[in-house]
Amino acid sequence: MVQISLTKGKKVTNMVFEKKRKVNNYLTAFLFLLPFLIVYLWFWIYPIISGFFISFTTGSFGVDSNFAGLENFKTMISDDKFWSALINTLYFILISTPTIVMLGLIFALIVNSKLKGTVFLRSAYFIPYMLSISVIASIWKFMLQNETGLFAEIFKQLGSSLKISWLGSWGMGWLSILIVTIWWTVGFNMILFLAGLQEISDELYEAADMDGANAWEKFRYITLPSLRGVTFLVVLFQIIASFKLFGQTYLITNGGPGIATTPIVHYIYQIAFRQWDMGYASAVSFVLLLIIAVISIIQYKVMSKN
Amino acid sequence: MKGKRKLVGRFWTYVFAYLLAIIMLAPLMWMIVSAFKAPGSTVTLLSKLFTPPFTLESFQKVLMPGETAMMGRWTFNSLFVAIVQTVITVIVSSLAAYAVSRIPFKGKKFITALFLIGLMIPFESIVVPLFDMIVELNWTNTFNALIWPGMNLSLAYFILKQFIDQIPNDLFEAAKLDGACTFKMWWTVVLPLSRSSMAAVGIFTFVQSWNNLLWPMLVAQETRMMTLPVGIPTFQSTFSTDLAVPMASNVLASIPAIIVFLIFQRHIIKGISMTGIK
Repeated sequence: MVQISLTKGKKVTNMVFEKKRKVNNYLTAFLFLLPFLIVYLWFWIYPIISGFFISFTTGSFGVDSNFAGLENFKTMISDDKFWSALINTLYFILISTPTIVMLGLIFALIVNSKLKGTVFLRSAYFIPYMLSISVIASIWKFMLQNETGLFAEIFKQLGSSLKISWLGSWGMGWLSILIVTIWWTVGFNMILFLAGLQEISDELYEAADMDGANAWEKFRYITLPSLRGVTFLVVLFQIIASFKLFGQTYLITNGGPGIATTPIVHYIYQIAFRQWDMGYASAVSFVLLLIIAVISIIQYKVMSKN
Repeated sequence: MKGKRKLVGRFWTYVFAYLLAIIMLAPLMWMIVSAFKAPGSTVTLLSKLFTPPFTLESFQKVLMPGETAMMGRWTFNSLFVAIVQTVITVIVSSLAAYAVSRIPFKGKKFITALFLIGLMIPFESIVVPLFDMIVELNWTNTFNALIWPGMNLSLAYFILKQFIDQIPNDLFEAAKLDGACTFKMWWTVVLPLSRSSMAAVGIFTFVQSWNNLLWPMLVAQETRMMTLPVGIPTFQSTFSTDLAVPMASNVLASIPAIIVFLIFQRHIIKGISMTGIK
């Protein structure tokens, strides 16, 4: 500031100074961005690009691969396992999104209703989310196992002859994974809803009280409409999270019986790291990338509008 | 009449709320109680679960040196990777966010678009080419492979930038008058003011890293390089019906996460709400 006023009137010096400052700004900005750019370009952008090219080749990790044109994509179209994995994933989205979103809202409403012990309740609902999927899966496997699991044992000791094969079929397998996923992640959705609930102004409720609205009416006409943005966000979060489903199926059902509970990421894992088919795994990965990118762009567009 | 109905409604809310809490905590309670039973105990000990004898033998068995479990080493690996990833993510993103927010230069739109890619594309869809890269670099079973890939820098960048944008310009002008250079302004203005959002981003990164399974499982094949989420299932696969020893390992693996939660509860919750508001 001081320097500029000193050169006031001397137009030439000023311009040189301006230019110098501009170059200087570029240089500083570049230096500040450099660490971010190195890590980001190297470990995010480069793999995206190389993955695109690998999907047109055949070969395995660390060896020279051959160009194969559209071969991998042709294989994908006629690969029943790929379609099964995609359908499994879509099915999981279909059952998990409404349940987890609704439960997340219910949990948030409870935590937000000023009960005694709110901190305890919030912690109790949230704490499973803090645990590693390996621990979660281990606990639930001990509960769900056919014959020797905790639930089977409880039925036995109650004298019931009821035998539920929790992991034995497509339907039950997915139901079990849904239950585990709800238990593990409902707290995350609860927090998102809670943030939305706390932004609703108390005045709205006070005004409704004056008009003699009951609890349901207040929920229906104030809470729900105010949560529209958050709900949209939670739904998209949930859909994206479901597309990334891996740990639960890998550790609890191992994708079985057969391939009944193998979602798309799990299938990519099998192609890449069980069959070592890097080219085909990249091609399937690229399809997953496109699907999630489209959803994310919709999410971003809608959110930046608000 | 209306007051009474309200009171009854309140009562049932309480019942429902605490019932849900019990359901959510029950599996964890079961894990903890089972861990204090003797090694070799099975699920069938149900009726004797809450009565003594309780013992630490299962924990001792997990922690015994020479056992297939390297709980100490895995905990160290997990902590080390999570802490390093957190520190890198927070600092590197803060520097970048500060530059774009406060230094005038052309090309900010391009930078924003470039960084958005990381927000739109899931890590899961690039593990295959990334693993190929790690193999080429000869990085399998190294900390480099565990640390560098998979940091969600973009998310941290956008959250932090939002906060740096809101810092009043006067503060920077004042620092400039004091003769502070660009870096010093980051240090004396940005860092102290965005402390709480950095903490939130940091804790969030830490938890994500701590619980990561897929990537560490791919690059850490040697037992000594495994993180807890990778080691635990490997260790437990050797026990078929024993309930106590696997549960003891689950408890040990969960203690750090639960401590982090109890200390940083508010930050964690804030961090999650911020990823939502984004």
